[in-house]
Amino acid sequence: MTSVKTKSNIFSVLGTRHLTNSTYIVRIERNGMEFEAGQYISLGLPGTTDKREYSIYSGMHEDYLEVLVKEIDDGVVSKQLKLLQPGAKTAMDGPFGFFTLETEQRSGGRLVFIASGTGIAPFHSFIKSYPSLDYRLIHGVKYGDEAYESQNYDPARYMLCSSRDSRGNYRGRVSGYLGENPPDPDADYYLCGNSNMIHDVYDILKENGVDGGRIHAEVYF
Amino acid sequence: MKYHLVTLGCQMNKSDSERTSTVIERMGYRWTDAEEEADILGILACSVRQKSIDKVYTRISKWNHRKKDRNLLTFVSGCILPADREKFLKLFDLVFTVDELPDLPSMIRQYGIVTPASLQSPAGVPGAEKGFEPATGLEPKKNPAEIRRFWKINPHYSSAFEAFIPIQNGCDKFCTFCAVPYTRGREVSRPSGEILAELRDLVEKGYKSITLLGQNVNSYGHDKLGDEIPFHQLLEKIGEFGKRSGKDFWVYFTSPHPRDMSEEVIDVIARYDCLAKQIHLPVQSGDDKVLIRMNRNHNIDRYREIVRSVRKKLPAATLFTDIIVGFTGETDEQFENTCRLMEEFRFNMAYIAMYSPRPGATSSRWKDDIPLETKKQRLQILTDELIRHNRVYNRSLVGKNLRVLVVGEDRKKGYLKALTEGRLIVRFPSDDRSLVGQFTEVRINSAADFSLEGENLAIIEELNES
Repeated sequence: MTSVKTKSNIFSVLGTRHLTNSTYIVRIERNGMEFEAGQYISLGLPGTTDKREYSIYSGMHEDYLEVLVKEIDDGVVSKQLKLLQPGAKTAMDGPFGFFTLETEQRSGGRLVFIASGTGIAPFHSFIKSYPSLDYRLIHGVKYGDEAYESQNYDPARYMLCSSRDSRGNYRGRVSGYLGENPPDPDADYYLCGNSNMIHDVYDILKENGVDGGRIHAEVYF
Repeated sequence: MKYHLVTLGCQMNKSDSERTSTVIERMGYRWTDAEEEADILGILACSVRQKSIDKVYTRISKWNHRKKDRNLLTFVSGCILPADREKFLKLFDLVFTVDELPDLPSMIRQYGIVTPASLQSPAGVPGAEKGFEPATGLEPKKNPAEIRRFWKINPHYSSAFEAFIPIQNGCDKFCTFCAVPYTRGREVSRPSGEILAELRDLVEKGYKSITLLGQNVNSYGHDKLGDEIPFHQLLEKIGEFGKRSGKDFWVYFTSPHPRDMSEEVIDVIARYDCLAKQIHLPVQSGDDKVLIRMNRNHNIDRYREIVRSVRKKLPAATLFTDIIVGFTGETDEQFENTCRLMEEFRFNMAYIAMYSPRPGATSSRWKDDIPLETKKQRLQILTDELIRHNRVYNRSLVGKNLRVLVVGEDRKKGYLKALTEGRLIVRFPSDDRSLVGQFTEVRINSAADFSLEGENLAIIEELNES
């Protein structure tokens, strides 16, 4: 059972890293907030009514919080956050969510993390927080430059599926990769990203005999 | 000096309105059914559907028109989205969250317009003497200390035998179709000592049906990180009190989330007579992929496990649920899975709703792509299933004697309406109003789709004796 302290506060921005034209990482103060890897926070600007939920990208042992943000064309918050300079204030609420690892999964269980786009954020937090995880990370993107900070993952455990260019380890969608490389029915699967990817992968996993209890999903909207 | 309250939405709002009445009545106001007589007019708003919010705008427009002729004060509280709060600030005299209710007398006194209330001395409600800060924030307050002050207000119960006890406020689950986390804020548990004291008081006063309320009632205690007992232990303490008290009463809870429905909760219900054998467990959909899109954080296998355990350990329990049909993207095949679920679990009651985007909820940003006609058809199919199962279940009760709580006069002339422990409706011929609020035993003679009919055994015995 996840149990964390919830805070609702104004936190300062420490910095921003731009990974592509539309994707960036915002680092904000942590101020001692407790969370479990895989949880998310609700973030926006103080005094406004708009907030959005973002998975925490940073690890549990770091003294700051990071979120990975994709700027949405007709979005509000993702555009506001992109412009923030160090020292600017954010309104943060959280942490929330149950997309976390149980003790047995953290200590030796075989784990397969499957992400699309910025859905890689909670997996980055898992891997930073629990360095000895036995994991495979399959990351689906359109173009190879969306392999966000892939140097942070063990190359032997990381598989980039790039659907619109050949810069990935596999050319095509995650579902195509899994179709050609049948999944292990005894592993635990964590899926995070857009709902189409999650639905496709869910069907593939079920067809390959993976028990529903071993499939954990967090949909990004 | 009179007041009138309009309460929209769920049982939680009804419970909040009982506390609101207490605060207003302590200022010397009396309830009136007639809005036009009231000096204070308030609304406990609901943001679950746009229709409910529209009702708030209709009401305030009427009330503001009436202000031309008389001096009156208007307020709105309850479940309000930040965007609506901003608009309401321009329309109502006072806009506040329910946890700020203890400050209502101060707000009225300092509001600046002359109303009978503004001439009152501080009312003896907790926090009334505290400095008043105008409620102008756009976001709901999330300070747990505020909601705890609210819970300390003794409610003005609207019934003499049925009562609601709020045990938890807010929600951390973020189901994509729901705006509660944005209107009521995060989960905050009420101290168990207060809950037990309120329950003991109610039982001493003769209350027979008590419902523990919360948006996620079985997440009780999670926010306290071990500093508060978990939900099953709260139920256990209630069960022990029930055993010691020698009183007859039934305790219900609503609504639980399948994710937090533990075996311990089911075990403890099985152990104590006063914990009613009725489980209301919202499932929302019978399809795992729809549940993922709804961000329900459980799948059907998990739900099935719980139901199996309920059937095994609480064989007499009735099972209620909530279902949404036509959720964004719900395919025919996914809906079929919900039909299969209905067949498998044979609910005694299912509150089935056609999906409509709820302002402020995540899913309101997605296309509502299932045509209304399809939603209506799906609603009808599930309703027919529900009726079919109920008919069979209710018929199995014919000839049995059931203990019931009489809740009032029935629509059928000359009949009283009662509820079984499992909250099935039973009507029986009687014009003895003194039975209302009492337990009695009824022999079931016939069954309809959603109700049972029988005879009061006390009367049968009387006839036999004479």
